[in-house]
Order: sequence, then structure tokens, then C-alpha cells
Amino acid sequence: MGLGFVVGIIGGFLIAHAAFSTIQYRGELKIMEEQFTGPPFNVVIELLVGLGLCLWAGLAVPTKFLSILPHSDENRVVSLPANLDFMVFNHRGKVLPSNPDLKLKI
Amino acid sequence: MVGSGGASASEAAQLARLEEQAAHGGGGAWEYLCLVRRLKARRPEPVLRLGLSLLNDSKARSKLGSEEWTLYEQVAIAAMDCQNIDVAKDCIGKLKKKFPESLRVGRLEGMLLEAKGAWAEAERAYAVLLENNPNDQLLHKRKIAMAKAQGNTTLAVDYLNKYLEIFMADHDAWRELAEIYVSLLMYKQAAFCYEELILAQPMVALYQISYADVLYTMGGMENIQTAKKYYSSALKLTGGKNTRALYGACLCSGAINQLSKGRNKEEESSELQALAAEVLTKEYKRQAPAKVPIVTEMLKTMKLS
Repeated sequence: MGLGFVVGIIGGFLIAHAAFSTIQYRGELKIMEEQFTGPPFNVVIELLVGLGLCLWAGLAVPTKFLSILPHSDENRVVSLPANLDFMVFNHRGKVLPSNPDLKLKI
Repeated sequence: MVGSGGASASEAAQLARLEEQAAHGGGGAWEYLCLVRRLKARRPEPVLRLGLSLLNDSKARSKLGSEEWTLYEQVAIAAMDCQNIDVAKDCIGKLKKKFPESLRVGRLEGMLLEAKGAWAEAERAYAVLLENNPNDQLLHKRKIAMAKAQGNTTLAVDYLNKYLEIFMADHDAWRELAEIYVSLLMYKQAAFCYEELILAQPMVALYQISYADVLYTMGGMENIQTAKKYYSSALKLTGGKNTRALYGACLCSGAINQLSKGRNKEEESSELQALAAEVLTKEYKRQAPAKVPIVTEMLKTMKLS
């Protein structure tokens, strides 16, 4: 997980650096009075690399994704809860011997 | 991902595993107790045993912090379920000292009177609490549970109907009413309750299976055809894994064939019956191979009839 964090930070830094380079490039173009068609090629590469690293970190850092398929085996509702609000206490369990050792120590 | 719909297979397995582990002294007692509370499972004996072991150990108790009081409540209810009134009384005493004017503790005291069998006193205690808190759902439900416990099912049905007029969105109450109606053999009313439940939670297959059960019990061509539709819907929701729905589909097809033997009805597609029968035999071969001959016999008689 530490590696994921580091990779994420590097990716974020790369993207920020690419943004800064683009702003600098535009400034230079304004001095030379040319049109701004797009960021230079190496900035685009840097951006894509930063994107890849951040994606990888985003998937690797959280521990385990929960399943969201409603019909997958682990999400299928197998039994309903026991309706505890209407629980009654005079059931046949009364005749079972209760353990006299179970006591709450004050 | 399940919401209030109940436990999934993986959660039920996790519960069983934690129970085993904690029973053999492997730790994880607090995890188990939290899981029981989240899944709303009814497991009084392990909860009582493990809860008391945590509460009697002062180090573990101080580690819990403010969750200690929830544990006291959980252990009190489990103790009442195991008929261990002394433990319940002690736990409630501790809670009362910490939260003297609390409605929740008052409810627990009422439940303790119920567990002791002192119905009149419990009734009085609930009446006093209801005067100050007339809109508390759990108090109304305890009154209904008391009527049910005393065997007065008609009174319970009465109270439940009045409760549902006010709190129409409470699925647990609808479920309880449906079960009481079934026990009183009032199937039409039970069907109505199940319809409400299916409307509220259409993705829970178990309500649809219960509804189809009630329709099949009521009998008659239309009811059985509707029941077949609901069994099929339940099969779709559970991916064909629910044995009860498979049986239901087979039995409904068999019953329809029998009922329409005299009249020349349009040929019902028997694909459902054949497929359900096939899946059923496959499931039995996988899980209970000794019973496969019984199942094949039964399916054969149904197809012939």
C-alpha cells in the first residue's frame, strides 16, 4: 500500500508539472505572437504517463473492492433477519437448563 | 450491499466461522458480536457467553469505550432469551445507573417483565412509557409481541393493523402480520400483506416465494398460475439456486396440468417444468446424492398425472 501511495504522488506531481509546463509554453508563445495549437509533444507524453500512474494508484491503494452485482453468489440474500422487534421470550427454550456459571460480575 | 434485506450466503458463512473461532477461544468475540448486531441474527447462547466474557474482563471492557453500553443491552436481551433473568437484571441495573431517564432502558425493563411472565406489570410499564412517547415504534411493537406471546392472536392482529395504519412503511410489521395470518389460515389477507412486501422490496426473492406458497395453498387455476409466475420470478432473482422455488415451479406445472386435464386448454409451454425438473435433479445429485431416486420418482409421477 505504501508503494501505491508513492506511485500516486508521483503521478499527481507529473500531472501538475505538465500543467505548469503548458502554462509556461503558452507564455512563450504569447511573446512570439503565435497561435496556441496544443501543448508540446513531450508534455502530452508526460500527461499520459501521469494519468497511467494515478489510475494504477487509484486501483491499488484501497484494499478490497466490494462486489456490487446483485446476483453474484456473495450478494444473494439467503435468509431474512429474525424480526427481532417482535421477539417473544416464552418459547420452548425455557425448559433448557440454563448455565448457572454465567453471571455478571459487578 | 444487502441493506435491511437479510444475510447473504457469504455473511452467514462468516458468522458461522466467527462463532466457531470464538467458541474455541480463538478471539474475535467483539467482531462476532458486532456482526450479529449488524445482521440482526438471533443467537442468544453464543452472544450471552461471549458478551459476558467480555464484560467480566475489566481490561476488555475499558477497551470498548462507549460501545460498552450497547454491549450491555445486547447481553441483556440475549440473557432474557436464554431465560437467565439474573444476568438480564444486572445488566439493566447498570444501564439504569448510567442512563436514568432513558426510554431505551425503560423499554428493556418492560421486556424484562415480559420475560419473567409478569404480563400485567409489563402492560402497565409500557402504558406509562407510551403516555410520554406516543409515537415510539418499538413500544407499539412490544405491545403486539406481548399479545402474541400470551396467545391472544386476534388482539395481536388488531394492534398490528392499527400500527400499520400509522406506520405503513414498516416491512417487519407487514411480515409479522403475514405470518400471523398464515398461522390463522387467513390466506387472502396474508397474500395482501405479502403483496405489500413485494412492492416495497421487489428484489428480495424470499417474499415472492412466500407469496407464491400462499397462492398455491389457496388453490384454484388462477392462483396457481400466478404462483407459477412468482416462483419463476424468484428463480430469476436467485439464479436458479433456490430449491424451494424449483420445487414450487414443478408442483405448479403439475397442478396446472392436472386441473386442465378435463378442459382442452391451450398447450402451456412445458419448458419450465422440464428445465426446473432437470435443475432440481442436478442440485440433488450435487448435494444429497442419496435422495436422488426419491426426487426422480416424484417428478415422474407429476409428469404423468
